[in-house]
Amino acid sequence: MPGLIGQDAFERVAKAAIDLPGADGVEVVLIHEWGGLTRFASSEIHQSTWREDTGLRVRVVSAGRIGVAASNDFSEAGARAAAESALEMAGVVSADPYFGGLAPRAPVHATDGFDERTATATPDLRSEGVATLVAQCPPGFTAAGAFETTAVEVAVATTEGQVCWAPVTQASLTTVVTGGEGGAGFAESFARRVEEIDPEAIGRRAEGKARDSQNPRPLEPGIYEVVLEPNAVSTLVGFLAYMGFGGRSIAEGRSCFSGKEGEKVASSNITIYDDALAADTIGVPFDFEGTPRRRVDLVRNGVFLDGVYDLRTATQAGKQTTGHALPAPNPEGPFPLNLYMQTGDASMEELIGSVQRGLLITRFHYSNVVHPVESTITGMTRDGTFLIEDGEVKHPVTNFRFTQSILEALSAVSMVASESELASEFFFSASRVPGLRIDRFQFTGRSDH
Amino acid sequence: MPREQPWGSLSARTGPGARSKHRAKGHRVVLDVSKQAVEAARAAGADFADARAVADRSESLTVRNQEMEGIDREGSEGLGVRVLVKGRWGFAATGRLAEAEVVRTARLAVEIAKAAARLPGQPVKLSPVEPVVASWHGPMKEDPFNVPLEEKVALLVEASRRMQRVKGLAFAESSLDFYRRSTSFASSEGAEIEQTVVHSGGGIEATAVGDGELQRRSFPNSFRGHIKAAGYEHIRTLGLVEEAERTATEAVELLSVRECPSEEATLVLDSGQMELQIHESVGHPVELDRVLGMEEAYAGSSFLTPADRGKLRYASDLVSITADATLQGGLGSFAFDDEGVPAQRTPVIVDGIFQSFISSRETAPVIGEASNGTMRADGWGALPLIRMTNISIEPREGTLADIIGDTKDGIYMATNQSWSIDDKRVNFQFGCEIAWRIKDGKLTEMYRNPNYTGITTEFWQSCDAVAGREDWVLWGTPNCGKGQPPQTARVGHGAAPARFRNVRVGVR
Repeated sequence: MPGLIGQDAFERVAKAAIDLPGADGVEVVLIHEWGGLTRFASSEIHQSTWREDTGLRVRVVSAGRIGVAASNDFSEAGARAAAESALEMAGVVSADPYFGGLAPRAPVHATDGFDERTATATPDLRSEGVATLVAQCPPGFTAAGAFETTAVEVAVATTEGQVCWAPVTQASLTTVVTGGEGGAGFAESFARRVEEIDPEAIGRRAEGKARDSQNPRPLEPGIYEVVLEPNAVSTLVGFLAYMGFGGRSIAEGRSCFSGKEGEKVASSNITIYDDALAADTIGVPFDFEGTPRRRVDLVRNGVFLDGVYDLRTATQAGKQTTGHALPAPNPEGPFPLNLYMQTGDASMEELIGSVQRGLLITRFHYSNVVHPVESTITGMTRDGTFLIEDGEVKHPVTNFRFTQSILEALSAVSMVASESELASEFFFSASRVPGLRIDRFQFTGRSDH
Repeated sequence: MPREQPWGSLSARTGPGARSKHRAKGHRVVLDVSKQAVEAARAAGADFADARAVADRSESLTVRNQEMEGIDREGSEGLGVRVLVKGRWGFAATGRLAEAEVVRTARLAVEIAKAAARLPGQPVKLSPVEPVVASWHGPMKEDPFNVPLEEKVALLVEASRRMQRVKGLAFAESSLDFYRRSTSFASSEGAEIEQTVVHSGGGIEATAVGDGELQRRSFPNSFRGHIKAAGYEHIRTLGLVEEAERTATEAVELLSVRECPSEEATLVLDSGQMELQIHESVGHPVELDRVLGMEEAYAGSSFLTPADRGKLRYASDLVSITADATLQGGLGSFAFDDEGVPAQRTPVIVDGIFQSFISSRETAPVIGEASNGTMRADGWGALPLIRMTNISIEPREGTLADIIGDTKDGIYMATNQSWSIDDKRVNFQFGCEIAWRIKDGKLTEMYRNPNYTGITTEFWQSCDAVAGREDWVLWGTPNCGKGQPPQTARVGHGAAPARFRNVRVGVR
């Protein structure tokens, strides 16, 4: 298995770009990643992969004009060649009116994000985990999913004196168990350390949900009370980040939060923040410009405070960067990668028990934007959708299509669960969120399964 | 179906032994790297091995309001090694091509395959393929990487400037994207194949913002325009500057028109929206790996089963859909897939009846067939998966204007804006950029925020008009996601405008 490149070796290579003649400023970003993924379907391991790559991304500034070049040639010659290519590109464009400079020297919080055992996890370790998970399936049921262990080493150096470096690891195990008369059940786990992944527990949870999902009955679409499990909540939070929290879209009037600073946008029990430094997320303590990250409150007690910024959008909006830059060039602007929704004080059982007639949703699938300014998205339910009556889960139902404004949904949250999970979203990074009870949620269609 | 020959430059003969003349700049002969990896894998215990050394290069430019938003170039080289050990796959990839690293990566692939045997299962059996020694270059007249940056920037700035002439427009974006992929493939069966494809695309996008609304119009298509397997000559045909003002005008007009009404309507789609309709509700469901459950946990499976071949009425008689990797200019065009299987033309739906899946050497034997050659990987670091080639609807007769003229009352929608479909590809919902009411054969009132929803086979069975070759366009979808770890593929779709009856529109 590969080892860490380390800050010293990175600085040696980056210097070849930093010292480029003719440039006013240079930024070098290293992303060195490796890891394996063991994929299974029909309770067999069918795809098992491993990959290592070392990417350098060089941004060059010349008279306020910007060029970017990237290469996976991690060498002094590779870094210099990328810098020269970026400088050539900068020479043919006009100056960026919102160029906010390169990150200055600033201390970065030390984090404990790297786990050697996860970084060196073997195919045998992952296969063993998959075998444990699959063993939880009762006769007539099979499991599909993926067990992944990855390590990423990120570093940034700028001509303004900033140099930062951090390694981080991630392990994840996701599964869908299917079988019987057509039901399906989903479970997942994300962690910094592979030893925190419990394949047996994940397998039990998914197979239990698959058994409970047998013989789903059709139900008319309409407006229902819902209890969303954390993975379903992560879809709402992920799309809110995509459509709303970026400082650029806010400044340009494209966000559902544009012009709403200080306004009530959600129920008082909703607080959303981004915190890459927290111990229970998987984050890097600086952004891809080298700005140190910190906790940023976005919605507090239902009131929208502000979005996230990088150096360019901070200049555009007259704000300070919050340390949320993505790798350059990034026309979409900054993005929060470590979102949290604050937990409440109720158990999931209490959420379900409070519902007169509604739906329990395990997760959403393949959601997409309908109206960005109204924060409306559409998508499907999958892998465990149930009717709740008189506070009890009655029976599984066939999958629904929802079309719903996220902010309207978050304005109708009557209960927030006390436990949160790091939950994935199909298109976005994972966020740590609790389950929610929402009083009104609109379903506009249904499927046949 | 428009199909021109030759679709590229091919020299080939079967059987091992031919020598390639292609060499990667600054590296050992890349085909030799692949062959060395195959040999190392065999020495480590692989029963079968293939390897791809891939060099990717890309260039992307985005202008917004006449300012450069992003200009970047990327280059990536590496090697992916795939092995079978006792019927189990292993795959490993590295960005370093030094000899020791190649051998280490090949051995790791074998180790991974051995670990996969921890669970019992049916051993993989590959459908046979004649090992070929060949080299192939896709069509390209003018290398986009040799066109001066100044010329590209000037084109984008001018298109943006023309859009900004329209009062009330907030953002005027223009973009160009270029990709080159060179692949050197070798297998333990004796195949030695070198291929190079170049993809070029460009587009404009006008955005108007006001009163809680954001309206967007794109040309020639949304999501960075129209991308083809071609050189810069394709960019010169797009008309980005010429169409800029009209595109921007429509975006501004959309701010002040009514929402698309909610009703059950006769729906006419332009070829751009048909591209996505075909992609999501035909292209993905006919992938045989989905049908066999191999994508179940992530992107989902399919409502189709092997028993549906030759029996299931998927669509009306007017609908025939073909998977064709031999089409000239398609993003899914090649001479050989990433398993060394020759490019093929496969009828997927014929006169409304479902006929064939798209398949691989592993999946095809499961249903008693041979691979129809659709395996592609997202670069050197990814395992090949079944990917759409060029999944196209066969043109019928007439034009879009004829279809509209033949429609008494309906809604015409154009240019995809969003998409969503369930995990078995049954219930879908699409949003478009713009719509008009059709009244007595004429476009009348313009609507904003149009969308429609349906059930896949019901929708396709309601198709009662498909336009002819005159309005058939071979589009490119540059962002097709699939697999774990996630892969992105560029795929092609030939699409003609079409009409559908009794469709629910205006979902809110």
